Amino acid sequence: MVTKVKSYRAQFSQWLHAKTGIAPLVVFRIIFGLMMFAGTVRFWAKGWIDALFIQPDNFFHYYGFEWVKPMGEFGMYTIFVLLLISSLFIALGLFYRWASVIYFILFTYIELIDIANYLNHYYFISLVALLMCFLPANRSFSVDVWRRPNIAVQKVSNWTVAALKFQLGLVYFFAGVAKLNQDWLFDAMPMSIWLQAKTHWPIVGHLFAEKWVAYSFSWMGCIFDLTVVFFLLSKRSRPFAYLALVVFHVITGIMFPIGMFPWIMILATLIFFSTDFHEKIIIFIRSKLNVKVQSSIGDNSLFLHGFKKKFLTGFLLTYVFFQMLFPFRYLLYPGDLFWTEQGYRFSWRVMLMEKAGTAFFYVTDPKTGKRGEVNNCQFLTPTQEKMMATQPDLILQYAHMIKQEVESRGLKDPIINAEVYVTLNGSRSKLFIDPKVNLAALEDDLKHKDWILDF
Amino acid sequence: MRIGVFLAMKRVLLLAGLVLGLLCLPSCGPDGPEDDVEYSDLFENVADNMIVPRYAQFQSDLSALEAGLNTFDASDVESLISLQDQFKATYLSWQSVSVFEFGPAAEYSALLRVNCNSFPANVSKIEENIEAGAYHLDFPSNYQAKGLPAFDYILFHADQNELLNELSSASRIAYMQDCLADMQGRVDEVVNAWDTYRNTFVGSEGNDQNSSLSLLFNQYLYDYEKLKRDKFSLPAGFATQYGIPLDADTSLVEGHFSKMSFQLIDANLAALENIYLGVGEGGTDGVGIFEKLKEYNAQSTVVDGDLAVAIQEHFAVCREVVDQYTNDLPFEIANNISQVQETSNAFQKMVPMIKNDMRSYLSVTVTLTDADGD
Repeated sequence: MVTKVKSYRAQFSQWLHAKTGIAPLVVFRIIFGLMMFAGTVRFWAKGWIDALFIQPDNFFHYYGFEWVKPMGEFGMYTIFVLLLISSLFIALGLFYRWASVIYFILFTYIELIDIANYLNHYYFISLVALLMCFLPANRSFSVDVWRRPNIAVQKVSNWTVAALKFQLGLVYFFAGVAKLNQDWLFDAMPMSIWLQAKTHWPIVGHLFAEKWVAYSFSWMGCIFDLTVVFFLLSKRSRPFAYLALVVFHVITGIMFPIGMFPWIMILATLIFFSTDFHEKIIIFIRSKLNVKVQSSIGDNSLFLHGFKKKFLTGFLLTYVFFQMLFPFRYLLYPGDLFWTEQGYRFSWRVMLMEKAGTAFFYVTDPKTGKRGEVNNCQFLTPTQEKMMATQPDLILQYAHMIKQEVESRGLKDPIINAEVYVTLNGSRSKLFIDPKVNLAALEDDLKHKDWILDF
Repeated sequence: MRIGVFLAMKRVLLLAGLVLGLLCLPSCGPDGPEDDVEYSDLFENVADNMIVPRYAQFQSDLSALEAGLNTFDASDVESLISLQDQFKATYLSWQSVSVFEFGPAAEYSALLRVNCNSFPANVSKIEENIEAGAYHLDFPSNYQAKGLPAFDYILFHADQNELLNELSSASRIAYMQDCLADMQGRVDEVVNAWDTYRNTFVGSEGNDQNSSLSLLFNQYLYDYEKLKRDKFSLPAGFATQYGIPLDADTSLVEGHFSKMSFQLIDANLAALENIYLGVGEGGTDGVGIFEKLKEYNAQSTVVDGDLAVAIQEHFAVCREVVDQYTNDLPFEIANNISQVQETSNAFQKMVPMIKNDMRSYLSVTVTLTDADGD
């Protein structure tokens, strides 16, 4: 028994470290760098740097990252300039290791500033950026190789490409698992609501009012998410799976305000194609750019040995297990996941529910008993208010923002209550949290929040 | 085999391109005639039967006020009463245009809401300005010293004899004339701009931040929340300032000196209700938000059933509770706070109906950025 486990481990390690061509990594590096560059330009052009990091008076923190603060106007624009430069350097493969580390740190920093901006897409980018720091993606067809030809390699270990495939596959698979719920499958919710809003579309619009269309979209989306990665892995089904993937992302891209994500996924999933395919892409780019092929340097390959190899295997295994288990942490909490959102984030729950809330906050002076409704726009931007109104941890944080402001103005120990009404997937609005609980007296932690009312 | 795979890929990409093109047809195809813009019927009704005629009405009310000022006779009490009545009519007329603070009205040179109706009036600043005889009404420091609240103060703050006495001073009349000219200049600009903006407004597509749909909805919500908070909760002592609970302060009400607070609130509610129902100036019922919600078969999440009807009924409830009062708001706050609290609850109940339900069915986004969550 023990030897059997050992031999599986040995086989796995052997597979991880087997040789494969570097071309997929190189193409991925270029795509990733360029897409991140374009995404940053878009973010800037839309004025979001100002709207999200400079305008707000208060920011919602990630648990454990309360110390992350925005840097003011000059600082934030500087960071975005650095993001532009580092993403371009990643694409070029110039000072790649530094560029990828800087990109990862800065991008993650930006995301940690305000949890109200959380998107699974951004989390995905952060993770890929982290992986990129460890990948030798600059060891071929890069400025680094042009500067230092001796670092060039033609073969890399399997794990490098496999790590990216794993990350991509995980997003689809878990997005599919998340759709396995009563509302999505058997009530076509919230798909019906989303389609209802598009019934004015020419030609196809009237179809969106049909219940069967909503069911088809729901089921096809779910089946696609659950299976596409396996079809992409198999050589025979790959072209068809990729076609389905393109269609899927184009449709979702047209229908929902999800920005660059569909296009990033369409390009990123090219990594599932063969080394030959990627070599052809590189040859194509070379011919367009008129760059000569470097004189072959024999069977140059990059492999790790000894401690480094062991460390890496350990790191990868930990990463994989963490990624597979973390989305299930919601099982540790009682109550309906979509309602309480305890353990909801970082789990690839993408476009899954339609939730909206209205939050009325009240401050009471404990000495005089004087009570008044808080004017939310004196503290939050409309986006922050919207996000806060449906997420218990943000409701609690907001209460503490109010408390801090009120205490700084001389009212000590205020009692802060919130009357929050939330509708989920078109349900009747219900009281979301206990309106009697004094939020100012509670501290946020990872335990179950027993002041959330039942759905 | 490898070449085969490559060829297959090529075919796949070609096919993908084709599908992409096909999918694009409905959304990026050239626009057909007229009926392509989903909300054009609503926008048309709002622009042609509400915005344009209501601004014209407000403009002519201001002119009538001007005429009253020009012919004012400080020795004649009838002259004062007629000026006061014309002011009241003008203030009520303002209530039906305050919600349209987008496009021309939101231009920096117009900014009607702050320039015409920053209440409560800053009484000492007004007196100071009149005394000095020189002032820059454009300055933000004078927002609360001009506009309709300044008239409210000057024309109503004392009994008739004292007012007539005060108004015999030319500088007081001149100050009102300047305040009036300040409003007229802005309103004329807005009225003229609507000549061309009308087609922009009606032809606007989509739901991004600058679409007519977003502008109209967001101002609609803003006007309602402003009514609820500034005109009601704040003076009643139900509100906070930066989180600090405030005491009731009846001097904060709109129309404090003319004791018009409830009439103004009711006129404001009526204006919002008319937009909702699609009732134009002159009473013809056209396409409003109500009709749109009906079209979508929208369901309320706040009460059972049809959203269009729920909001309609709740407007009626709100107006009814306001109409029940026999005195002005400061009196009711001082003497009848429990009923005032109930009215506040009624106003509150409308918020999620507009902010969540109506917004959701009209597909107006709150977030500027991309989404993936809900």
